[in-house]
Amino acid sequence: MRRNRRARKPVNRRAAPLRLTSLMDILTVLLLFLLKSFVVGGEVVTPVPGVDLPESSSETTPKSAIVIAIFGNNVMMDGELIITVSAAVDADDMYIEALAERLDAAREKIAEIARYRGDDEEFSGRVAIQGDRDINFEILQRVMYTCSITGFENISLAVIGTS
Amino acid sequence: MQRRTRRGSGYSEVLQDDLEIMPLMNLFVAMIPMLLISAVFLNVTVIDMKAPPDVVDAGDASGQNLALAVTIKDQYFVIEGRKIEKQVIVRSDEDAEDQLAGALRDITTRFPSNENIMVISQPQTSYSDIIAVMDISRENGLPSISLLGAE
Repeated sequence: MRRNRRARKPVNRRAAPLRLTSLMDILTVLLLFLLKSFVVGGEVVTPVPGVDLPESSSETTPKSAIVIAIFGNNVMMDGELIITVSAAVDADDMYIEALAERLDAAREKIAEIARYRGDDEEFSGRVAIQGDRDINFEILQRVMYTCSITGFENISLAVIGTS
Repeated sequence: MQRRTRRGSGYSEVLQDDLEIMPLMNLFVAMIPMLLISAVFLNVTVIDMKAPPDVVDAGDASGQNLALAVTIKDQYFVIEGRKIEKQVIVRSDEDAEDQLAGALRDITTRFPSNENIMVISQPQTSYSDIIAVMDISRENGLPSISLLGAE
């Protein structure tokens, strides 16, 4: 008889509340961390895969620019291989023809976009060089020389800020 | 929020008193992906510079242009310019960078109006060495940097 009573005892069918406190703790910490690293102004620049940028105390924020990456034996622009470092260095001329062609094409593209947008802003000629810390000056000099000859005279060197 | 009071027994019992945190959760869930997209985990900055000119400017006749230059050689840093005594710093010294910084600081103190410096590199000079010299120059009051190749 006693056993039957126990069996008939009504089961508490109220749904157990979800404990969200620990999840809220994680989300709050994550939110604060992300807010700290949030960039309000300037351009977010991601290093090209394979490039180990040198460290510098520079605090200048990058602006929108055409990116030329130099690492290993590669000179790349906008993610495409333009010329190998060995081929560029072995040439007698400082002027890199293949790079100049790509820069000219990029300049025409920028001008076309500006024309469609009705933008009267003058061509900035901005280029950002992402050079690996192990490259030599001879390839950097050739790239910079080609940039300046083709009208991209606002050259900036990308680095990892340490400050 | 649910509250049940047992009347007549002289005390009240709060069975459930949870905060309504779902709106806050929704806000977090919306904000975190947005911030993750714009987060910067690697602080990439830039060094703005001038392209190497075809011919080094000979300077004006009045001698206002200091034509300050640091040449990075395999073994030495060489500091030279107009009105400046040539200085050679041995790179293998432990405090070579401090010596370079001190020399540039002295020049900046003597010629406060000058902000230009030319960093002259050899073909085999490492890019990280060039950046290091540029940092030293900028930190010692010479922010306008040109990068040139040795003849």
